[in-house]
Formats: sequence, C-alpha cells, structure tokens
Amino acid sequence: MTVPSDRGVSRRSFLKGSAVAGIATTGLTAAANAAAPSKPDTFGPGEHEITLLVNGKERKVKVETRTTLLDALRDGLDLTGAKKICDRGSCGGCTVLMDGEAITGCLMLAMDAVGHSLQTIESLSDGDKVHPLVQNFVHCDAMQCGFCTPGMVMSSLACLQKRGKPTEAQMRSDLSGNICRCGTYGRVMEAIGKTAGGGK
Amino acid sequence: MSSPRDPVEITVGYRALGNNALPGLQDRLEKRTVQPKEGDAPPWDANTQFAYVGTDVDRVDGLAKATGRAKYSYDITFPGLLQAMILRSPVAKGKLTGLLLDEAKGMPGIAAVVPLKEIGHQVRFVGDALAAVAGTTLHAVRDAIERIRADIAAEEHNVDYIVADKAPQLGDGGQIDEPWPESKDNEIEQALGTAAVQHTATYRVEVQTHSSLETHGGVAKWNGNDLEIWLSTQATFGVRGELARALQGKGLDVGSVTLHAEYVGGGFGSKFSAGIEGLAVCLLAHAAKAPVKLMLDRFEEHTTTGNRPGALMQARAGVDKDGKIVAWDWRSFGHGGFTGSGGSVAVPNYYTGAAKVRRDHKELVIDTDPPRPMRAPGHPQGWFGAELFLDELAAKAGIDPLEFRLRNDAEAIRLDQWRFGAARFGWDKGRAHQNAPGARLLRGVGLSSARWGNLGNQGRPPHGITCRIHQDGTVESRSGAQDIGVGLKTVMAIVTAEELGITPGHVKATTGHTSDPSGPASGGSMVTPSLAPAVRHAAFLAKQALVEMVAKHLGVPMSEVQCKGGKVGAGTAQLSWADACKLIGPNPIDERGTRQANYDSKPFHPTQCGAQFAEVEIDRATGVVRVLRMFGIQDCGLVIAKKQAESQVLGAMIQGVSYAIHEQRIMDKRSGRMLNGDFLRYKVTGTQDLPELACHMHSIANGHDSVGAAGLGEPPSVASAAAIANAVFHALGTPVRHLPITPDKVLAALASKKG
Repeated sequence: MTVPSDRGVSRRSFLKGSAVAGIATTGLTAAANAAAPSKPDTFGPGEHEITLLVNGKERKVKVETRTTLLDALRDGLDLTGAKKICDRGSCGGCTVLMDGEAITGCLMLAMDAVGHSLQTIESLSDGDKVHPLVQNFVHCDAMQCGFCTPGMVMSSLACLQKRGKPTEAQMRSDLSGNICRCGTYGRVMEAIGKTAGGGK
Repeated sequence: MSSPRDPVEITVGYRALGNNALPGLQDRLEKRTVQPKEGDAPPWDANTQFAYVGTDVDRVDGLAKATGRAKYSYDITFPGLLQAMILRSPVAKGKLTGLLLDEAKGMPGIAAVVPLKEIGHQVRFVGDALAAVAGTTLHAVRDAIERIRADIAAEEHNVDYIVADKAPQLGDGGQIDEPWPESKDNEIEQALGTAAVQHTATYRVEVQTHSSLETHGGVAKWNGNDLEIWLSTQATFGVRGELARALQGKGLDVGSVTLHAEYVGGGFGSKFSAGIEGLAVCLLAHAAKAPVKLMLDRFEEHTTTGNRPGALMQARAGVDKDGKIVAWDWRSFGHGGFTGSGGSVAVPNYYTGAAKVRRDHKELVIDTDPPRPMRAPGHPQGWFGAELFLDELAAKAGIDPLEFRLRNDAEAIRLDQWRFGAARFGWDKGRAHQNAPGARLLRGVGLSSARWGNLGNQGRPPHGITCRIHQDGTVESRSGAQDIGVGLKTVMAIVTAEELGITPGHVKATTGHTSDPSGPASGGSMVTPSLAPAVRHAAFLAKQALVEMVAKHLGVPMSEVQCKGGKVGAGTAQLSWADACKLIGPNPIDERGTRQANYDSKPFHPTQCGAQFAEVEIDRATGVVRVLRMFGIQDCGLVIAKKQAESQVLGAMIQGVSYAIHEQRIMDKRSGRMLNGDFLRYKVTGTQDLPELACHMHSIANGHDSVGAAGLGEPPSVASAAAIANAVFHALGTPVRHLPITPDKVLAALASKKG
C-alpha cells in the first residue's frame, strides 16, 4: 500500500487554510505568487514583515500568513517565555494578553495581532524588579518543572486584572484552560490570593 | 569537630511526627554506630540542629522559571537555526518496502532529509519513525515531508491487550475466567481452606501517557567533529554516551559530546533515552552543516514516547477470624507494546508477611508504542488493585478498612502514619457518614498505603559535585545531573549553605551540563539521596580549605574554627563570611566532593512509607466523581527542601486524581491509531477538578549516609488512585474495579447494585 504522509490532513493545515480564506474575505488581497511586488496590504504567500506592539514596543517580525502569533513571538522575536505545548489552544502554556485579555498565542495568526497591544511574561520583570505576582509564584513554590509556569502567570495576571480579588471559584474558572502536569494548581491559586491580598 | 575516621554514635529515627504530635504516638529513636569513610563529613542525625535543612526556602531557580527567562531545550536558538520534523508511519504493523526522499530534498528551504528506517525493516506501531527533514521553517519542513513517499506492506495488527495472544479468558463481568494453577505443595489452597472469609476479584487499568509538557527533542549543533546538544532529558550522562555510541560512524567519541539540560519541562520516566528524535536531530545537523531544532508535537508525544501500560490483575485471598490475611494469590497481565516487556505490576508485600503468598505476571504483546517507566513504574496499577481488593476483603470480614490495615501492616512507621493521618483527615467521621436513601450526591472516604525504596547509590564511578568558594563570597555548587523539576538545585543550595553556615541565597546551584561532575539519571527517586551526600562532601572539603586560611589569619587552631551564622572563626576571633573569603586568592577554592557508599550499619528503615486518604462525592444521576479532599503523609528520610518536597507530594496526588478518574489512551482498533492524542480529548486534571489537598512531610533521620535523604519522586504517586477508588467503593457501596472511574462505569456499578 502507498502511504501518504500522516501530516497532510492535520487540523492545523486545515485551520490555516481556512484562516487564509477568511483574510481574503475581509478585504485583504492574497498575492497571486511570491514574486509579485507586495503592497502594504498584501500578504503572502511567502514571508511578509509585520509590526507587532509587544510589551509597549513596536517590533518588526517576518511571518507567513500561516504563522501563529506564538511562533512569531518565539522564533521571530526570541520571546520564549510563552511555551509551545499542545499548539491547539488546549493547555494555556502560550497564554499572553492582547488588549488586556488572556489569549492563547497558538490559536491566533500573527498578522491578526497587528494593531493590538500584546503583553508577554517578559514584561513582568526587569532585572531585579519583578511583578509581585511573579514573586508570589516563587514564594508559594507554584511550580515544579516550570514549563507551564509562564502561561499560568499570565492567566493569573488576567484573572487579577479582571477580578481584583478573585474568589476561589473565579480562579478555578479563569485557570481552567491551563494544564500543569506536575500538579501545582493549588499553589498557583495561593499565589494569586496572596497577590490580591497585597502580598506578603 | 570529631574526626570522621572514628566510629560515630548517632541517633536515628524521629520524634512523634514533629510538631504535630498526637496522643498515642511515641518517639521512635534508636542509637547506631556508624563508620564514615575517611575524609567524609560527619553524619547528620536526629539531634542535629539545622539552620536551613527542612525549612521553607524559595526554589533557587524559581525566579528564572516564573519570569520566563529559564531556557529549556525548546527555547534554544541560534542564527541560521533549522527546524525539523519526523515522518511517521500511519500503519500499525508492516514492512517498509520503499522510501522516496528525493522530491522532499528538492523542496524550497530544505537543508537535509535523512531516512530513519531501512527498507525491508518492520514498521511496529502507528508513529514509528521513517524519515526526518530539516529546513528553514516548520512550514517548509511540513510542505516537504508531505512529498516523501513511504511504501509499507501492511500486516494485520492488534492494539487491544484484552484480546492479545496469551491474554486470559474473560467472563461476562470482565473477570478473569481461568482456573488458578495449583500452587506448590498446594499451600495456597490449604491456607485458603482455613480462612474464615475468602474473596476473589479482577481489576483493570488503562494506559496513561506521561504527557510531559515539554515534548521530547532538542537542538543539535556540530562544531567540526564535536557535537553540542541541548536535549530535554532526565539522563544527561546516559544519553550523552548513547549518542556517542550511535554516532561513532560520524567520527564521534563520548569526549566530543557536550549535552545541556539545564531546564527540563517534565519527564516522569519517559526521557531516559535520546530516542529516535535525539538521534535524528544530530544526523540532520550533521547533514545540513547547521544547527537544527527538532521538538515533537503533542500527538507524537502521546503516541511515541512511552506510557504507563494497561493491566489486568486478579487476586484471591483469605483472612482468619482475627482479620489477619492468611493467603494471598495474585496474577497480572500487562502489556509491553511491541517489545513485550515493561508491563509489570508491583503489589504491596507488607500486609501479607504471615500469609502464604504467590505472585505471577505475564507480558502481552500489542502493536503499539512500548511502555516506559512512569513515576513508580507498576505501582499505582498494582496498589489500585491490591488496596481496593483489601477493602473488599475487609468489608466481607466486617472490619473497618483502617482497622484492617492496622492489623496486617508490618511496617511500624506506617502504623504511626495510619493513626496520624486518620486523625488529621477525620477518618472515623468520614467513614461513619451515611448517604441518605435516595440522595443524589453520594459521599465516601478511602485510604491507601504507599511504599518505595531508594536510599541513593554511590554510582560507578562515584557521583561527584563541584563546590567553589570565590573571593567575593559567592559559592557555586555544580552537578552535571539534571533537575527535572524536583528542586535538585534548591537541595544543593540548602545542603551547601548548611555546611558553610551561610544562607542558601549565597549559593548558585547549577545542573544539567555534562562538563560538570557526573550524577545519576532522574529515575527511581534516586537523585536527591544519591547526590545530597556528595553536595555535602564537596562543601565540607571547601569549608576545610577556607577554615585553614582563616585559622592561619586569626592565629587560632584549625580544629576550633567554625563556619556558622555567616561568620568564620573561633570564640571571639571571628570574620564575616565576606571578609573570610577575601583571604581566597583570585583562583577560587575548588573542591570535588564524591558520593561515598552507604554506611555498612543498618539504616533506621530501608524503605519509604506513606499513607493517603481521600474523600469523594459522586453524582448518582450523572455518574461524575469529584474528589473533594485528600491528605497524604510521606516519609523520604531527611526532608531537605521542605516546600519543594511538599510540592512533589501534592503534585503526585493530583496526578493520582488524573489517573483515577480522567486519563486513558483510547485506541482505534481498525487503524491502530490513538484517537485522543491531544489535550482536548486526553483529559488531564485541571483546576476545576482540583481537590482540597494537604500533606505532611514525615522527616526521618535514617542514618544511612552523612545526610540520610531518601527518594521522594515516586512514593507519593503510589497511593493516590487506590485511595480514591476505595472512597468510590465506600460512596457507592459497590466497587468500580476498572480505572479510570469514568461516569459510564459508575452508572453501570449503580445499575448492577440495584439489579
């Protein structure tokens, strides 16, 4: 039997195909081929330079239409705090804030983030200056291997910004999209509570 | 400071469970005479007054992790870094008859394509690696990998262990329906014949995947004939040697391989080997003459990097009129994937010391990815079966499950833990709870024991640690072994600080570079007990070097100089740590500590004991199980890093919740492919399922080496699922003998009870 590659039918390529189609219908023209001269509002195929507003700074990055925001942040801008864990929006490891709302970077195309304000984990520390939430994550030992931790911190930040003093039920709800395999959830919620209460 | 060459009398054991003493519990303290090796640090014991050991110290790499600055293998990048992927078989079994790579090689942006399976070789499971591609972006690689043509002559496959060759006949209720073979001298049958109560039952568990959040893979970079690799691994030195052997043909020897794994995003037993992905990334980087990154995706992680295997287990046993177990017959069938090994099941042996005992295990072969060790391999499976069986046996005998454990458990430490835990958890009240007739929400409580045995090893050649004290007062403790999240760096900082009389914040601990002294793989709860004495030895040697300088400077005898409270000196002649270190020249004190063999004398206890308690609430209408709360008590010898130790125990309990009620690999029998190879349909416990958790670290001076730490990674993960299953039994009044305890099984159990 002849076997086509297993990758040809992935949900990812299907999603990306639809996303490109979606962009075409919103008025952006897809270039006929890579050699055509690109107009400012023309995207792909091939790479295209966009400007993202990340942590208060304008950053230029080359992406394809099918490049996710997560890949643009990690591979294009070396902002590797957001992690690629499931690449399907089901683990929260790549959580960043867009206009203050928690989103998963793997479920958004980089070009769709143009014109929005993005905040990543890297914005919560500057040398020795660290956001109290981050400090409380350390103090509560709200991590083990640490791979989910940046996503947890960003979901926790969104929870705090939205709720002020979140109840336990609100924390459980707001963090329900973040998976931690080591099992640190209890201490994560403790860190949120401590931060909401003014920190200790 | 007594000379470590003389035999030393020490006190081992524990005081009535720390500050949480309960009526009826006694101190368990014993004297031992131990013989430290020449030059080693004198032993810590139950009378040692610690400044930092056993206290709450922040994880020393916590800030790096919580700020996103920590660089995992997945995060490593270089200018010109290429991305890579593996082409995998969509067929579960067959023979590779053709592999055409040329079209892929010619695709835009592609730098290297390497075959990973030879023509004519067997394809053994869906996901078996066929070829790997490296290119400028993952998009380019994905486009190219679709142009590889792989021809596979498919053969009939089976991915269901229940119908595998040599699997036992099952009856209508799923019970093993084969006669037990006759025991030697008929002793089991005779013992069963004397029993007041007998019971037999079959138990079953499904496959759980490790689901490490950082997938397997890494970055490889050749510098001429030398290889540098950043790999997500839990065995830095083992994998380095493995790669050097595999790449001999590229002119490589082990000395030219440097491996880095400073941060590792989980392993849980799945990352002991370089794997096909580790080899592939090296081959691609060699062929492309450029650095290459190859990280698996989530489907590959679920389907090609091992798992906790499924198993069928059957027990029959009898108890006498006093509630003592007199016979214990046990057989299990586990599956080892295509290799037919690794499916074994462990069962507790401390309840059956006075009984006639038999155990048998058979391995089954199916056409899937083979198991790999997963956090206490074989134990959560076997403890689920055995501890639920014990509760069923106790119920038949009319004995409370706790009382049944107290009558049969041979380990004195756990007898204390049962009583302590039961009081802390509120066992009697929980057990007395009666669900109102017709109530929709049913509550129940359950318990289980835990046991592990690892007091660390010396290593061959012995494990080492580097300790450096610098002129500016900073201290380094370095190990080439990896910290996969347990807190090894924190342990190193605490032990070093304790020895030098400074704060852990003074110590920079580094792990995971093979240029540093060798240490064990993160397996079997081995790392902390194996390395802590070496950390201490290195600090002890560095301290002696500093003490010599200070003694000379102050004009006091060396034997009177102490390092304590951030000062170095004798009597009133004291230097601050900073001033003492100024005596060091531009070259730091640089000492290599080694792990000595464990003392010849008997340790306080050779194994680690634990006990866990759980309360569940079950919705009779939907069959959904909620774990409301759990309490665990765990011994790991001397507790060094208390906060991080607690994190491990709490995390193990959450993994246990996940194993008990959520996780299972679901296979499509027809295609042989995993149907839920993602995190959308493979359910891992999240915040909405989180019970109220508490734990108590039961610190014991074990007296087996200069520190006395024992393993902690595995033991707390042994008991959790079993305790939850027993709570479900209590709530429903009928057992669910098949993990995970999903709503369909609960509803079926309730229906069968009515009928």
